[in-house]
Amino acid sequence: MLEATDLTKKYDEVQALDGFSLSVAAGEICGLVGHNGAGKTTFVDMVSGLLRPDSGAVLVDGVPPHETRGEIGISPQHIALYRPLSVREHLELYGRLAGLRRKALKAEIEELATAMQLTSFLERRAGLLSGGQQRRTQAATALIHRPKLLLMDEPTAGADPETRQALLDVVKQRAAEGAAIVYTTHYLNELADLKASLAVASHGKVIARGSSAELLDGLPGEVRVRTTDHEYHRATTDPTAALMAVLAEARGTVESVELRNPDLDDLYRSLAVSDVH
Amino acid sequence: MSTDTLRVPEPLIRAGALIKYNSLLRLRDPSQLISYLVAPMVFMVMFQPLYTKALDYGSIQAVTGQLMMFSVFAMSIVANSIFVEREWLTWDRLRASRAARAELLIGKALPVFFVLLIQQAVLIVFGWAVVGMPFPKSLGLLTLAMCVWGFALLGMGAMLSTIVRSRGDLFVACDVGALLISSIGGAILPVDLMPPWAQAITTFSPGTYGLSMLRSAVQGDVVGTLQPGVICLVIGLICGAVATFRLAHGWGRSHLV
Ligand SMILES: Nc1ncnc2c1ncn2[C@@H]1O[C@H](COP(=O)(O)OP(=O)(O)OP(=O)(O)O)[C@@H](O)[C@H]1O
Ligand SMILES: [Mg+2]
Repeated sequence: MLEATDLTKKYDEVQALDGFSLSVAAGEICGLVGHNGAGKTTFVDMVSGLLRPDSGAVLVDGVPPHETRGEIGISPQHIALYRPLSVREHLELYGRLAGLRRKALKAEIEELATAMQLTSFLERRAGLLSGGQQRRTQAATALIHRPKLLLMDEPTAGADPETRQALLDVVKQRAAEGAAIVYTTHYLNELADLKASLAVASHGKVIARGSSAELLDGLPGEVRVRTTDHEYHRATTDPTAALMAVLAEARGTVESVELRNPDLDDLYRSLAVSDVH
Repeated sequence: MSTDTLRVPEPLIRAGALIKYNSLLRLRDPSQLISYLVAPMVFMVMFQPLYTKALDYGSIQAVTGQLMMFSVFAMSIVANSIFVEREWLTWDRLRASRAARAELLIGKALPVFFVLLIQQAVLIVFGWAVVGMPFPKSLGLLTLAMCVWGFALLGMGAMLSTIVRSRGDLFVACDVGALLISSIGGAILPVDLMPPWAQAITTFSPGTYGLSMLRSAVQGDVVGTLQPGVICLVIGLICGAVATFRLAHGWGRSHLV
């Protein structure tokens, strides 16, 4: 559904993208993670057709983005709303721009507002909304026309746990309906919830790509043993052996034992992803 | 009527939606238009006795002069309506939508163009009913002149809003620009009463052509309307082309200081 190959983009001194390649299939949620300035938003802008790459190509459903624009739903990283227009008016505007007719539009608004918990402030002007409400409104404008490709750039930043869950549920549902989704976030546990595949970006390129099982395979988990005397932590790929070893050397009475499987934070650390050169 | 028998084409739906929401945005921020309507009315009444003493066409000058000046001020309504799209980052969202460039421009331009026409029409009616300006000889000619002048203002305002780097710049450009264009164009001191050196620089102000077009249109002088009208059209086209180019390319992230 989305195929980006070898994208590069340079701004004066910054190489924002440096051979960025990423493919996302229909029905797949791709969690795009990476340090601040890794090039995630630059990539999203390119797929939106807003930014031309210096080299490389983007294909959405086989054609360049500017020819398929209507098929893409975009929830940008920064809030981009008309302050004097209400939430409903936003949904109507973006729905109509995507070609929804009156009846279908009305039904979509009702459904989405309920699913995204927007009903209580549907008639309120965007300028009066709280930060999290604005972000949900923005995400809803991306979803209203059921696009084949969804680009969500940190859609849950600032959202409270309950509404965050509501958004994640809608995203999962859209993927189940066949949409390809690029989901950027710094909250790695969201991606586990979404059962997303992962793309780790660093310094303008994707340095790791695969299912989280694949990427986490072989990464050390951790064994934690707390005794009356001391607390022991050991990173390990073989928990049983590590546990035996720790217990053998531990002093005092054992109070608790904990085995932690490798998670996305470990992956991040193992790839030494950071924006410091 | 069922939607099967009559399906509005998609481009029309999109342009219609853009026009509707741009109009809503204008309606929810009416203060500029109101002040650009009330102020010239006051000035017309104030200046009318002075102009009728100095000129044969004194009441026409009182009305069209103030109309020109405050319609140039209303350029900032155009500029503001585009500038907020940059400030709110909404323009890129529209650019990424299915709407074609022409639809976006029509959606943006038509509502403000309409605002500019309303302003001129209200001031003409006020000038005739209250200030004692003679009734225009040809309403058709006057409407044409108002449309052409509105188009020139639309182009100039749009261009300004797309090339400034900050809201502060826009304020200065609109305010100082409007004062220069209108005063050099003879809105305050009629060109006929200016010293020769000042008359020479009036050729550089779009206001000169706007004013002489509007005045001739009120007097029913077809040639006197069309000649400056062509210049206004050209100004509108050139500025509009620059604005269109900038709008089509967007500003990305590097746009506002
Ligand atoms: N228009 C621009 N001019 C100059 N530099 C830019 C421009 N746009 C992006 N950059 C730079 O390109 C790099 C990549 O930025 P980008 O916004 O894509 O990062 P990101 O991965 O989205 O980061 P974050 O997680 O903080 O959102 C950054 O160093 C940024 O400063
Ligand atoms: Mg970003």
